[in-house]
Amino acid sequence: MKVRQQAFERGVVNGIRIHVMPSKRFKTFAIGAYIGVPLKEETVTAVGLTPFVLRRGTTSLPETIQFRERLDELYGAGFGFDVYKRGDYQIVQFRMDIINDAFVNTTKPLLEQGFQFLGEAITAPVVEQDKFRDKYVQEEKETVRKRLEAIVNDKIRYAQERCVEEMCKDEPYRLHPLGSRDEVKKVESKSLYDTYKWWLEQASIDIYVIGDTDLPTVQSYVEKYFQVQRTQDVAYIRSLSVPQTGEPRYVTDRLDVTQGKLNMGLRTTITYHDDKYPAALLYNGVLGSYPHSKLFINVREKNSLAYYASSRFDGHKGICTIQSGVEFDKIEKASTIIQEQLEVMRQGRIESLELSQTKAMIANQLREIDDSAFEMISFDFNRVLSGRERTTSSLIEELGDVTADEIQTAAATFHLDTIYVLRNREEKK
Amino acid sequence: MNKREYNRIQETLYYERMDNGLDVYVLPKPGFQKTYATFSTRYGSIDNHFKVEGEEPVQVPDGIAHFLEHKMFEEPEGDVFTSFAQQGASANAFTTFDRTVYLFSATDQIEKNITTLIDFVQNPYFSVESVEKEKGIIEQEINMYRDNADWRTYFGLIEAMYQRYPIYIDIAGTVESIQEITRDTLLQCYHTFYHPSNMMLFIVGGVEPEQIFELVRSNQAAKSFPKQGEIERYFDEEPLQVRTARKVTTLPVSMPKCLFGCKEDRPGLEGKALLEHELATRIMLDLMLGSSTKLSQTLYEEGLTSDNIGYEYNCDTNAAFTIIGGETKDPDELIKRVKEAIEVQKKEGFSHEAFERTRNKRIGTYMRLLNSPESIANDFTKHTFRGTDLFDILDVYEHLTLEQINQRLQDHFKWEQLAVSIVEQKTEQ
Repeated sequence: MKVRQQAFERGVVNGIRIHVMPSKRFKTFAIGAYIGVPLKEETVTAVGLTPFVLRRGTTSLPETIQFRERLDELYGAGFGFDVYKRGDYQIVQFRMDIINDAFVNTTKPLLEQGFQFLGEAITAPVVEQDKFRDKYVQEEKETVRKRLEAIVNDKIRYAQERCVEEMCKDEPYRLHPLGSRDEVKKVESKSLYDTYKWWLEQASIDIYVIGDTDLPTVQSYVEKYFQVQRTQDVAYIRSLSVPQTGEPRYVTDRLDVTQGKLNMGLRTTITYHDDKYPAALLYNGVLGSYPHSKLFINVREKNSLAYYASSRFDGHKGICTIQSGVEFDKIEKASTIIQEQLEVMRQGRIESLELSQTKAMIANQLREIDDSAFEMISFDFNRVLSGRERTTSSLIEELGDVTADEIQTAAATFHLDTIYVLRNREEKK
Repeated sequence: MNKREYNRIQETLYYERMDNGLDVYVLPKPGFQKTYATFSTRYGSIDNHFKVEGEEPVQVPDGIAHFLEHKMFEEPEGDVFTSFAQQGASANAFTTFDRTVYLFSATDQIEKNITTLIDFVQNPYFSVESVEKEKGIIEQEINMYRDNADWRTYFGLIEAMYQRYPIYIDIAGTVESIQEITRDTLLQCYHTFYHPSNMMLFIVGGVEPEQIFELVRSNQAAKSFPKQGEIERYFDEEPLQVRTARKVTTLPVSMPKCLFGCKEDRPGLEGKALLEHELATRIMLDLMLGSSTKLSQTLYEEGLTSDNIGYEYNCDTNAAFTIIGGETKDPDELIKRVKEAIEVQKKEGFSHEAFERTRNKRIGTYMRLLNSPESIANDFTKHTFRGTDLFDILDVYEHLTLEQINQRLQDHFKWEQLAVSIVEQKTEQ
């Protein structure tokens, strides 16, 4: 059964953009708040630390236990945040998931209670003598420090992050979204609170809601519970892509590992805003996003070299990364095979079956987005970030029209920039 | 076609058993784009010693259920991923201790995809050469997990707890054990466990139940399966004591990871009694260790945990155990503090107020799960194979009493049945 494409209703309150999609399909209200600032060495660590401190308490629920108990009372409402990079921006995303009143007995609407909670968490933290509560800042600094140190624990992610860090060593994008361990040490309650106030005034802020409600209701909640002094909404500015020049760079790290990792980073001038974005998305799909893709078939199925071999495209930054886990003495062989596949893409050797499969897979993924409130929110946020108007169905249409020749044209813009290898330590004899 | 209505959660489930014994369930989700289907066999890594009525008992190599899962994707005309990709479906599979699940999600060509799913799982096809080739891929999968500190800690705890019951055997087997696997042993396992009477099909999404049943009926009627007797699974009697009280593994990690838990005596419960036992224990653990408890908060504030302490409870008729912990700078201190707090709580019991709040939280969490077709299909299958019903959960939560929860606290934590698993950095000599 087909349903009409639902749409977001949009408004602005106190310089905060509001996006509401009324829907009765879900058993919950999904709320997402995106707060973004340009990624900068000077602010990245403090901004990354901020949501950690905000989750400790609010003026009305100053103790963390009270804050947590409140979530339990709201029928185990989900509350969380994430800090990540999108293009050259550092985004702090809060999310809340709260069940629809229809399933329980409550007097005050649960959505309003959720907004009160979230609004206070973001805009009314515990402040003592014009700074954050010292205890919370000290403890959260410790947590962030541990997180940054823990990156090495997951070798797949470690190799990915190291590859991007090396590749973008002269750009803000090299920065980890939580900043650096050295900077975390230096943060103080007062300086952090000052950064926080700047952040709340200057950042681009978007609030999304999907559920059984409407725009005026949500606007009234934002007005009531988000205590901010902002005069205008701040748009995101697209960053310019950095073209790759010269030969690829080789980087090798060594750790005590059983399996080697081989990662590659490619640059392209195509981003989400571009008309050629669908072709670049298909380039990535044919190359390595699926079990029928060239990397999986050639590295895994034909040569049994790896369990995983895939590619990923960051359309806001214009970077495509390739990752695989390979035995140490087969890294060279895998690297050769992967580069052969990049060459195959450049020559436009794409079979019509590969193309139709990839189109069908991407179209399916895009249609599936409409079944998850949070995925619909993330997809729409691409529009805010890039200034490019797209819905899942308009993107499916664009993809449908792309030809193999257009993918080859797109392939010409992808240049191998960095080859990163993670190996074991050399045997001591 | 039988219809079961669950009014409280606004869901309707349709069920029918095919003539060959296959159980088919359909849960329509009006308005959803996506359909998610799982085809599962009651066959996992623990089923390594068995006998089919009228035949000789068999002992098979470790990791064979998982190996079989990998090989099922091979078809005479090539890889079945190709067919799914053409039909815009994303397909996958996974093996657990007690089941193997094949699945797809798609927004289009649903009937075709369901047919592909059923047909490929009901058609074993693999050559001697391709079985040998798969060993290289699975070897890399095993090595990838060997480097994964979280998995090693988690699985290390189960290895430390169990001596005879085969959940201590790694699902993928070992690099050595998979060498013993041959095409013949794979086929033998296939014919034993992939008989329709040992399997279940679950379909959730924007579908019309009667159409689906008609499709499956005619698909199954066109195939013939020899009549199969009961499968008898042999499990050696598991002693109450743990295998090792403390298991330490060395890997490069930024901080030790520590999981611990108590192994219970075989619950021996079935159906609703087992579900009640499980949910009562879950609430007890929330009350004891949840993020809004004093204990969790104190451990965090003192830097003994890097995040809220994690916990889970696993149980079926034959085994039951908790898994508690996370990253910590001092595993012994963490365990000591948790033990002390539990002993204090055993004397005091939990309060009514906390119990009600936690029950609400659990109910809300359960309702949120029902938004996700994937969670419904996976959890329903898990419950059904274990002899419990996912849709009984709300009712069971509502009827649990504080006395039951307090009783679980008394009964579960027996320190002589405690096991600990630690992953830590090699100490430099």
